Amino acid sequence: MIVGNYLAAAALFCLGLHTVLTRRNLVRMVMGLSLMESSTYLLMISFAYRAGSTAPVLLDPPHGKKPEQLAHGNVADPVLQNFCLTAIVIGVAVTAVFLSVVVRVAQHYRTLDADRVRAMRG
Amino acid sequence: MHPRNPHRRPFTGAFLTGGFAALLAAGLLAAPREDAPLSAMARHALAVSLPDWKLTEPVNEIVYGTRGFDTFGETFLLLAAVVSVLVLTRPRELRTEPMGEERAGRREQAEDDPASPVDARERAARRAERAEQDARTPMTPVVRTAVRVVGPILFAAGCYLVAWGYAPGGGFPAGAVLAGVMLMVYAAFGRRTFGTRRLETAELAGALGIIVIMGLGLVLKDAVGADWVPHAAERTPASGGIVQPFSVAEFAEVGTGILLAVHALLGARHDWTPDEAGAGEGVPS
Repeated sequence: MIVGNYLAAAALFCLGLHTVLTRRNLVRMVMGLSLMESSTYLLMISFAYRAGSTAPVLLDPPHGKKPEQLAHGNVADPVLQNFCLTAIVIGVAVTAVFLSVVVRVAQHYRTLDADRVRAMRG
Repeated sequence: MHPRNPHRRPFTGAFLTGGFAALLAAGLLAAPREDAPLSAMARHALAVSLPDWKLTEPVNEIVYGTRGFDTFGETFLLLAAVVSVLVLTRPRELRTEPMGEERAGRREQAEDDPASPVDARERAARRAERAEQDARTPMTPVVRTAVRVVGPILFAAGCYLVAWGYAPGGGFPAGAVLAGVMLMVYAAFGRRTFGTRRLETAELAGALGIIVIMGLGLVLKDAVGADWVPHAAERTPASGGIVQPFSVAEFAEVGTGILLAVHALLGARHDWTPDEAGAGEGVPS
């Protein structure tokens, strides 16, 4: 039942969202954002799954099949695998940007508490 | 220790999260399941990957072929993120102060950040920071020898993933392998083994390579990102046309980009706020 994966991804996302909404520690907020991001990987890979499918690799197909036949057969969705792949790399880079900001905030204000960083409050 | 912050709003957060969870669950329960047909784009990629591109990996055909223009954009998103990290973490520059901005900045900073005493924890953190920056060989000979042995093998594995195109995504996972190898080298030999300037050059060379590969499509085939490289037989390093050079450039871009971001974070100096008036610690040397 792939629905279990969907709901697990939703639960992970909501756990990250709850962390971002209720925590004021900047590192924990970044961890919450990373959790939300990770849940999308699980969701995309789960969307890509097809019951009884093989990996979308046209090398050494199952016995009795030609590589061309796989194109019309039962394989996991390669488009969503591609989305997941690029999302991971971009996610790492974006997390690095968040952490850089957190490091600078910590150095400048000597706190990681978002409520105590008030210089830009309007 | 600061007192417990009263503004965490746990009930509001729980209410909003619960509401969003309900929406998400309703949407996902109605989403396509494991018996849904593949999308048109996936079917197209599976159909053209081997006969047209000579690629046994449809994911590579999607990353660098069908969605090549999207990958082009994502690459520069990665580059922008790396540049942002470098700018955010670079040490404060010494200024000649023709407009008095140094003094103005110092005054503003003093208002925003009133002097706070340096406690024992902060002093210990500063000592650890200096020790880490001064450390040349932080690991034992056993670890260093192990990294010397394993590092080249893993690096060769990364290059193999790119060259033969067997890995879904080619340059993306191979770049992550390269970054992993270099992080092992960092753990074993310290940060000074990195050559930041060379990494920056490699990163920009990767980005330039991608621009050239995409741009040549416009010159030779009248479309940005068009496949202009002749196709060799499948299961060879030259199969896949434009996919392979694009993948190699992405390898350089991803690997060096991740390394630069990590290196910048590791080297982020504590140099924006002096510990106390006149102490000078943390002020750039």
